[in-house]
Amino acid sequence: MSGHDSKYFSTTKKGEIPELKEELNSQYKDKRKDAVKKVIAAMTVGKDVSSLFTDVVNCMQTENLELKKLVYLYLINYAKSQPDLAILAVNTFVKDSQDPNPLIRALAVRTMGCIRVDKITEYLCDPLQRCLKDDDPYVRKTAAICVAKLYDINAELVEDRGFLESLKDLLSDNNPMVVANAVAALAEIQESSSRPIFEVTSNTLTKLLTALNECTEWGQVFILDALSKYKAADAREAENIVERVTPRLQHANCAVVLSAVKMILQQMELITSTDVVRNLCKKMAPPLVTLLSAEPEIQYVALRNINLIVQRRPTILAHEIKVFFCKYNDPIYVKMEKLEIMIKLASDRNIDQVLLEFKEYATEVDVDFVRKAVRAIGRCAIKLERAAERCISVLLELIKIKVNYVVQEAIIVIKDIFRRYPNTYESIIATLCESLDTLDEPEAKASMIWIIGEYAERIDNADELLESFLESFPEEPPQVQLQLLTATVKLFLKKPTEGPQQMIQVVLNNATVETDNPDLRDRAYIYWRLLSTDPEAAKDVVLAEKPVITDDSNQLDASLLDELLANIATLSSVYHKPPEAFVTRVKTATQRSEDEEYPDGSETPYSESPAHPADGGVSSPPPTSSAASYAGVRQSTPAPAVPAAPVPDLLGDLMGMDNSAIVLVDQPSTPAGPPLPVLLPASTGQGLQISAQLVRLDGQIFYSLLFENNSQIPLDGFMIQFNKNTFGLAAAGPLQVPQLQPGASATTLLPMALFQNVSAGPPNSLLQVAVKNSQQPVWYFNDKISLQVLFTEDGRMERGNFLETWRSLPDSNEVSKDFQGIVVNSVEATIDRLAASNMFFIAKRKHANQDVFYFSAKLPRGIPILIELATVVGTPGVKCAIKTPNPEMAPVFFEAIETLLKA
Amino acid sequence: MISQFFVLSQRGDNIVFRDYRGEVQKGTAEIFFRKVKFWKEDGHEEAPPVFNLDGVNYFHVKVAGLLFVATTRVNVSPSLVLELLQRIARVIKDYLGILNEESLRKNFVLVYELLDEVIDFGYVQTTSTEVLKSYVFNEPIVVDAARLQPLNPAAIFMQGSKRMPGTAVTKSVVATEPGGRSREEIFVDIIEKISVTFSSSGYILTSEIDGTIQMKSYLSGNPEIRLALNEDLNIGRSGGRSLYDYRSSTGSGAVILDDCNFHESVRLDNFEVDRTLNLVPPDGEFPVMNYRMTQEFKPPFRINTLIEEAGTLKAEVILKISAEFPSSITANTILVQMPLPKYTTRATFELESGVIGQTADFKEVNKRLEWGIKKIVGGSELTLRAKLTFSQESHGNITKESGPVSMTFTIPMYNVSRLQVKYLQIAKKFSAYNPYRWVRYVTQANSYVARI
Repeated sequence: MSGHDSKYFSTTKKGEIPELKEELNSQYKDKRKDAVKKVIAAMTVGKDVSSLFTDVVNCMQTENLELKKLVYLYLINYAKSQPDLAILAVNTFVKDSQDPNPLIRALAVRTMGCIRVDKITEYLCDPLQRCLKDDDPYVRKTAAICVAKLYDINAELVEDRGFLESLKDLLSDNNPMVVANAVAALAEIQESSSRPIFEVTSNTLTKLLTALNECTEWGQVFILDALSKYKAADAREAENIVERVTPRLQHANCAVVLSAVKMILQQMELITSTDVVRNLCKKMAPPLVTLLSAEPEIQYVALRNINLIVQRRPTILAHEIKVFFCKYNDPIYVKMEKLEIMIKLASDRNIDQVLLEFKEYATEVDVDFVRKAVRAIGRCAIKLERAAERCISVLLELIKIKVNYVVQEAIIVIKDIFRRYPNTYESIIATLCESLDTLDEPEAKASMIWIIGEYAERIDNADELLESFLESFPEEPPQVQLQLLTATVKLFLKKPTEGPQQMIQVVLNNATVETDNPDLRDRAYIYWRLLSTDPEAAKDVVLAEKPVITDDSNQLDASLLDELLANIATLSSVYHKPPEAFVTRVKTATQRSEDEEYPDGSETPYSESPAHPADGGVSSPPPTSSAASYAGVRQSTPAPAVPAAPVPDLLGDLMGMDNSAIVLVDQPSTPAGPPLPVLLPASTGQGLQISAQLVRLDGQIFYSLLFENNSQIPLDGFMIQFNKNTFGLAAAGPLQVPQLQPGASATTLLPMALFQNVSAGPPNSLLQVAVKNSQQPVWYFNDKISLQVLFTEDGRMERGNFLETWRSLPDSNEVSKDFQGIVVNSVEATIDRLAASNMFFIAKRKHANQDVFYFSAKLPRGIPILIELATVVGTPGVKCAIKTPNPEMAPVFFEAIETLLKA
Repeated sequence: MISQFFVLSQRGDNIVFRDYRGEVQKGTAEIFFRKVKFWKEDGHEEAPPVFNLDGVNYFHVKVAGLLFVATTRVNVSPSLVLELLQRIARVIKDYLGILNEESLRKNFVLVYELLDEVIDFGYVQTTSTEVLKSYVFNEPIVVDAARLQPLNPAAIFMQGSKRMPGTAVTKSVVATEPGGRSREEIFVDIIEKISVTFSSSGYILTSEIDGTIQMKSYLSGNPEIRLALNEDLNIGRSGGRSLYDYRSSTGSGAVILDDCNFHESVRLDNFEVDRTLNLVPPDGEFPVMNYRMTQEFKPPFRINTLIEEAGTLKAEVILKISAEFPSSITANTILVQMPLPKYTTRATFELESGVIGQTADFKEVNKRLEWGIKKIVGGSELTLRAKLTFSQESHGNITKESGPVSMTFTIPMYNVSRLQVKYLQIAKKFSAYNPYRWVRYVTQANSYVARI
């Protein structure tokens, strides 16, 4: 082949589409192929080439596989937007699925499964049935995955046609690739079904373990992951399984190794023999360490997993601490994880070496890494009692270098060390005090102040030191203020002399009268009352012995650790969060369909509005411009909390919880204007009230929603879904609603897309909405689609064009309706109002005593509506006639115009 | 399974984009790029390879200056996805010969065709170039390698180019040569990345070798190959080794690997007996064997650092590099780096005369000394003197606030582990069949650090 594909990216100045059209219909094969390539190139860079659909599909009937694949690629992307035309391709698909060439058969099934158009799906069943039993393994493995595709589109169909059984049969296929895909498909189907579909029995286990040895590396991962759910009956079975899986640890593919480790760990829980367990640990260690020789990205995943594994089985890597020493060229995310593991593996035996490393890290360049290293030294001191002294001397050495952030970090950890070992290491306080004036971070300051207060009786000039902080009391951050308050009280209780007495007056005054921080104020009042009623009691409370803190380096909760260990080698083990905390796979056709289109170059409404909130006001503001909406929000934000009165100001506190503060700032906000209609009253929604309306902003349709939580519990995890409707309106993005505290509310603008899942039958304005959250049942409510929201901005017609269109439409396309009760008082106002909804005034004429007005409007997909309004101004009664290629829209249109005229 | 796969250029341009499941919103490429570019979370400035943003999980790896990205909504195996991204990059490189923005753009149709075979509905099908050959029909359009800037100075083959046919490694596995037939040849590279940490007194604190035997075959008809390694090769350290147990057995004795793993095409039937590997090499580049070694070895370079204070605001740094390998071997592209105290304002250098290809520089931005040397012959020694000027008094902390000294280098035809390919046997198709065999050794620095 000559030339470069990149030439397809070059654009001709004008008439690109017609030119392509011509080339697509060329009689020369090569020219057609070139043209299709150009089309694909245009599609990739986001140009809309959907108008070439028929021409491209015409190229589909070819023996040339290269060309066929290109056409299929195009089809997958545009079939959704051209469902009626896509049906043209069905015959070729069905024919291809019986082609003598297995590649073509597989290609046909694979592609059909990717086209999510109902009409095509119906035709998929027979070919799929055949292909599942095809002689060629390549076809069967493709068909296996296709079952999962079909299940995603239409689960019932899959079950009715018995595809699940066929899939299960494939588990016994003689080709391991087919088995692997069947496993993957079944696992996915099981994931989205509540019924047991794919349960690993001891029979399947044997089958799959056999297939494991012959599978490709990726198939091995599918199988191992599916088998990891298998619960062995007893220790013996577990041992047998482990024996079959252990050779996988030698695989060069890290995913195989980790999945094998997961499987082994799981079965180990059942194995009772300590010898076997010890032996397994020994076998797992080298491959785990070898993962750290892979690319840094893989290392990161391995380290996150190892972090979990050593929490459960510390012995596995107890002797391998050296491999976790940081390399100078490790990426920072790897270094941080290595530090964590070093702390976990630190023991009395290796602490000297570990400390040497930490000390070295603490003088490196990266500030965050340095801080973490300093903190690590402190954590080792807390963890290993016998090494605490050595740790502290390293910290002191570091403090002496006088690098500001090192000093501060060291003071923070030393405070914890004091709490862990009370009355042991106070001799170093003098050294700490030397750095007092360099502290500028709140946490470090607060820690130092805590130390001074706690050991006030041993620091000769404790009162001077504290006093130096008091001058700036009002400017200090809250955590420093709180520590200062407590430290001063401690000082006063320990040394009730004149100096401290004066200080306590100042502090209490500052912390009650001069502050608006409720925590500080409450604590100050409590101290005040305690001190004034019973100083001895105050001593018992304030100077009471504190519980000794413990090492927090194994901080994961036991049950969470269990869950995470069960999820080794999944994302869960990287995030250290259970799957339900981040998996948001929404099983909705709507969610998916709108995304299927190729990127068309136009920005999604979100990506623009958060960044430039003011832009809405600049570019041709429709009546409810975003600028107006922002103003609206600003009004509703609470005024900053008023300076607190001497008496605790309850109102002030409540203001802080004011619900409008929860509105996300980076969201397009609800337009100001009349309140949204309530669609789900709180009485129905167990306290959740939802008001909503479709709105059009800057040529884009949004669903404007207001959520009000009147229940007693916080609500979160909101999701929304729309039923099929005449216009196929569906969400074009996820619903973004923050957690709602009781009493709070939030507004949001949900971008909407059209023609996603269009309902059949005569047009109607019904919009059925389902909203769910994590705490309540799913709520269903009905809304109305007001047609004026759909009218596009380019609906204005020239007078001549209007007349021509009117004439060209047959009379049967004219529909009219009388509105008895409606009065048009001001022609001007009415025209403006209609224009605001993209219904454009064309002309006016007198007919008898009536005024007749003509308007044009355009529905998406370019469907024009020509409107004639006849009325006597000031007198009730308006006659409305419309002419449009789609007269079945008339009833919906009349609903809309009635609302508009009445307004 | 994954939802989308895309490749972004360094500037964030979408070069390839494929949506497999349509369950993740479009615009993810842009969202991803913005997030990664301005990453600032948990105090890190570099985005981890896996993160979750608004319910979408993003995976990425950097290959040849390009970002290979995958997204998903479900709880997949992250190592699978990351490994897959690396493999996709490798397959594309096998096909195109060279992996870069230009070659991707020129071959986008081929790349899409590959992607359709590699992944179906988000599930990996195969990443074997060999297997893909029977399903992929587009011919690669080869980008002229000579015109290209070296993408990655560390790419091991740059150095070896004098000994090897220059185009070999940038040659597509599938493209036919201009002459119509391709040369029968096979490359076996023993690549060792070594990490060494020297203590301030010159002791070796940690040392490690990450090795790979990499193969790239251009043999027609996939003949069987037999690869023999050192007969005295041992795998697995005997018993638990104490942290303080430093073997003094440098220089002689068996090669002991801590661990190794093999490509799936390798048959180990004879491995236990005579340390030979049998395989039918698939097309494309692949690691036959990866190994890891912590057995002590002789480090190729010694680094000596001396810091002398000269008054309150001045100091002198003397760096000495000794090449401790045979004089028949030459190391190249050596770079020595040393962070200096933050209050360093100026540095002047004194290079040894008579050595060509040396540069020394003080990087003002990150206060770093950089000393570049083109070549060092085994057995020689090089010294750099740097005079530093400070803006504030150092309080005798200079050594604590500078260093460690790190070093990168490449040593062709040398490997520290002494692991060897004793012979490479290719099953003969006919008596005159004698393909080219290239067995190459390369040692590279991974993390080569001397503390001061």
